Amino acid sequence: MKLGPISLAVVVCLLLAMPWLVSGSFLNAAIQMLIAALFAMAFGLLCGRAGMLSFGHAAYFGVGAFAAVHAMNAFGGEGLLPTPLLPLVGAGTGLVSGLVAGYFSTKRTGVYFAMITLALAELLHALAPHMKAMFGGEAGVSSFRMPAWGFSFGSITEVYFLTLAWTLLSIAALYLFSKTPLGSLALGLRENAHRLRFLGYNTHALGTLIFAVSAMFAGIAGALQSLNIEAANYVVLESHISTAVVLNSFIGGVRVFLGPAIGGAVMTFFGHVTSDLTRVWLLYQGIIFVLVMMFMPRGIVGEIVDRFSAPTRAGILRLLGDICLRLGAVAVAAIGAIFLIEFLQRLLSNEYRANVAAAGWPDITLFSMDWSPLSIQPWGFGLGLMAVGIALVVTINRRLAARKEAEA
Amino acid sequence: MGGAQAPAMSPPAIKKGMGLVLDQIIFALLNGTIYGLLLFMVSAGLTLIFGMMGVLNFAHASFYMLGAYFAYTLEPLTGFWIAIILSPLLVAGIGILVERYILRHVHAHGHAHELLVTFGLSVVIAEIIKMAYGKFAIDYRVPVELNFAAFSLSGIDYPFYRLFMGGIALAMFIAIYLLLTRTRVGIVVRSAIYRPQMVEALGHNVPLVFMGVFGFGAALAGLAGAVAGAFYTTNPNMALELGVMVFVVVVVGGLGSMGGAMAASLLIGITNSLAVGSNFMLADALALVGLGAWAQDIGGLLTTRLSSLAATIPFFIMLLVLVVRPSGLMGEKE
Amino acid sequence: MSDPILSLQDVHKSFGEAHIIRGATLNVMAGERHAVIGPNGAGKSTLFHLCSGQFAPSKGKILLQGNSIGGLKPAEVNRRGLARSFQITNIFPGVSVRENLRLAVMRKHNLQFVFWRSAARLRVVNEEVDELLEKIRLSARGSDLASQLSYSEQRSLEIGMTLASDPKVILLDEPMAGMSHEETDYTSGLIREITQGRTLLIVEHDMSVVFSLAHRISVLVYGEIIATGTPDEIRGNARVKEAYLGEEAA
Repeated sequence: MKLGPISLAVVVCLLLAMPWLVSGSFLNAAIQMLIAALFAMAFGLLCGRAGMLSFGHAAYFGVGAFAAVHAMNAFGGEGLLPTPLLPLVGAGTGLVSGLVAGYFSTKRTGVYFAMITLALAELLHALAPHMKAMFGGEAGVSSFRMPAWGFSFGSITEVYFLTLAWTLLSIAALYLFSKTPLGSLALGLRENAHRLRFLGYNTHALGTLIFAVSAMFAGIAGALQSLNIEAANYVVLESHISTAVVLNSFIGGVRVFLGPAIGGAVMTFFGHVTSDLTRVWLLYQGIIFVLVMMFMPRGIVGEIVDRFSAPTRAGILRLLGDICLRLGAVAVAAIGAIFLIEFLQRLLSNEYRANVAAAGWPDITLFSMDWSPLSIQPWGFGLGLMAVGIALVVTINRRLAARKEAEA
Repeated sequence: MGGAQAPAMSPPAIKKGMGLVLDQIIFALLNGTIYGLLLFMVSAGLTLIFGMMGVLNFAHASFYMLGAYFAYTLEPLTGFWIAIILSPLLVAGIGILVERYILRHVHAHGHAHELLVTFGLSVVIAEIIKMAYGKFAIDYRVPVELNFAAFSLSGIDYPFYRLFMGGIALAMFIAIYLLLTRTRVGIVVRSAIYRPQMVEALGHNVPLVFMGVFGFGAALAGLAGAVAGAFYTTNPNMALELGVMVFVVVVVGGLGSMGGAMAASLLIGITNSLAVGSNFMLADALALVGLGAWAQDIGGLLTTRLSSLAATIPFFIMLLVLVVRPSGLMGEKE
Repeated sequence: MSDPILSLQDVHKSFGEAHIIRGATLNVMAGERHAVIGPNGAGKSTLFHLCSGQFAPSKGKILLQGNSIGGLKPAEVNRRGLARSFQITNIFPGVSVRENLRLAVMRKHNLQFVFWRSAARLRVVNEEVDELLEKIRLSARGSDLASQLSYSEQRSLEIGMTLASDPKVILLDEPMAGMSHEETDYTSGLIREITQGRTLLIVEHDMSVVFSLAHRISVLVYGEIIATGTPDEIRGNARVKEAYLGEEAA
């Protein structure tokens, strides 16, 4: 476990050096990654630690975002608080709205809880257009960052450091929270709320409080988002924000402390990288999520932590070998699947359909080659790769299982 | 409504005005009942699957959407009638595949995990639909032969197709009811809900029953989608919109209770459509206690007409139920 | 003996048509080990659920130290000094044994909504957890996950958690269910040890345990207490033989 502090220090140093390592547009992506990571951590507290699955966390993110924008505009643009402290406003409103929403949703547990959180978020989303003063209607509310404490907050680098500071502080606070009595009780709530009641605890109040703490950190993430883009629009209340945080956190793994953060950051990174390459990133995200849930139920980080928990040198080398084999096989299948999806996407696009009407079935350019949709080649290529990849995965799994059995 | 002008009207005009209001209320009640029946068609499948397998199928409303899109795709090839028969069957097939190859695979990890997987599936299905049909509503319409007025009141036509939807939903309940109470399969299904191990020990193939129920539930949602999609809008967002309503129904009614689902569906359908037809605003209520002018000044939510807030009413009903009777109208205490 | 510490007076409980408890009257004296026996379906578990706040009685009074607890919530009953274990092992499987006990002990020190102190550093709590670990003979397994314990160890942990709030009255629901002879002897000794200076109400099917452990025994048949007395009195009671042993024989 000595590796832990060292790798943590390395990561923090890398994050601090980021503005000198990457270009401006990438730094912007890094800010998004940090916000997504913090938002996922807030979700992870509720869902991973306390076992309460929320499908409506966009609400608290959004409330924090709007509160921050209004706070920036307060006193004729002077701002309610100096710019670096504005996330506190997001935290406060997140906490309060979390207490209210938590009171209702923790009246029930399990799947009911999940449905109620979704319904509450949709309620806010449905109300928002009618509350122009608060949510600014179609155009949203915009603002701009005021200089404070000797910083102008005009450059992206300064915004990056502000976001980084708040994200690291919040994650540290979440870590400390997990060590407190209330943090322990969150675990108890997940493991056996019934027993907790018979030990004399008020589980409804506990649930509400943990919900509120989670909403508070979601509110901070929302406020950081407003600070970054200097605006808020009721798009932040939409269901796809809630969806993204569920997908990201579980892909990372909600039961490992940093799992959600890593999931959020990595998926946002890929979203950014692929935004020029594909129009259906959300589809990939959904597919990755389903596959992770099916084959790595603890999430990717959870799986890694699990496998490397008791390492010996020889064991690690062999483990790495196994992982490389599997990754290779999965990559073959993935290339086939990506080819098929992208091919279909182009084939079904409106532009192509218009072309079909005018000029028959033109070739589609993909992977720097031209493919005719009426020939067997593209279909054979995609399906073939997928089949080969899946066959490889199955064979490797069988071999490894057989080896394990032989050793046991 | 129209109260301010009333003194100027002659008695027959008042009578006529009252008649119009009454007719509007009748329309609203009828619309609400039919919408409620549709909600029930979807929530019944959800409840059946949950009661039996303990799985809350988040993708259930996605099956509803698939039903609509399949029917839209098939209609030009087969005609409307064959399309609304075939598309639920296709949806059932997809449901069976999902149960057999995905849900059963994650069953060991618990119900929360199953819920998450179906949540992921709902995302995938919505994205595939967007990829194949675009992000906007498609032109899936009521066929010409069914597009006529059933009757008219106060000069307003009532579309026959609404009654047709209500009829199909009603026929479905009767079918489910008979299936569950009168057939051998129904008895196995009902007992598998309570004692799956026992039923399995008695030699029934429970996994097969589960698969069948899942497929049947999916088909019900698919049929609802195929029929309702032609009347309401068919777009990639319809699954989420209906899904949320169905969840509200289930929270209000109590999962696993068919009677509760029915009562909650009708309650929500009817209040919803009464609100749509109403001009009431909060400021009116405040005017009764002398705060009307203040409310007009404040504006915002207070002067928003109830009709435009109709979509939020089911949520408030849900909150009310959570405070007053957390286990749902007909739910057992947890 | 003094006044009863736990007293049920003409308690009824029905679920719809089913009338499970039909006027049960039972007095448990302070400091005694009191067992409830009865054939399957007599309502023993329901009786426990009524005492511990899971269900509210349909009729009748339940008094703990002279104060009514009928209809209170489980958490409130626990706070008044009555703790229970469960027939089905009811622990926190995914956390360590130590953490299980810590969750149970923290309540006693009113550490519920506390988020400014580290749970692991609370000295008093940790000392009590260590004591409990010793008492239930699980000191060596403190850092293992509760789900990794053997069945009887899990039952011990369950008893330890029941003990954690330092209750005056302990309700143990079939603590020996599903145990081997050795495990039963072991657990029986453990119960004897930990209930020193407390009052115990126990439901158990193993008659050798009941007759050796209990000071007094009550027999519950079809929702009524038909007899209460020392083990010898119960052995010689004709009604008990007829109602209870008769059924066992048949």
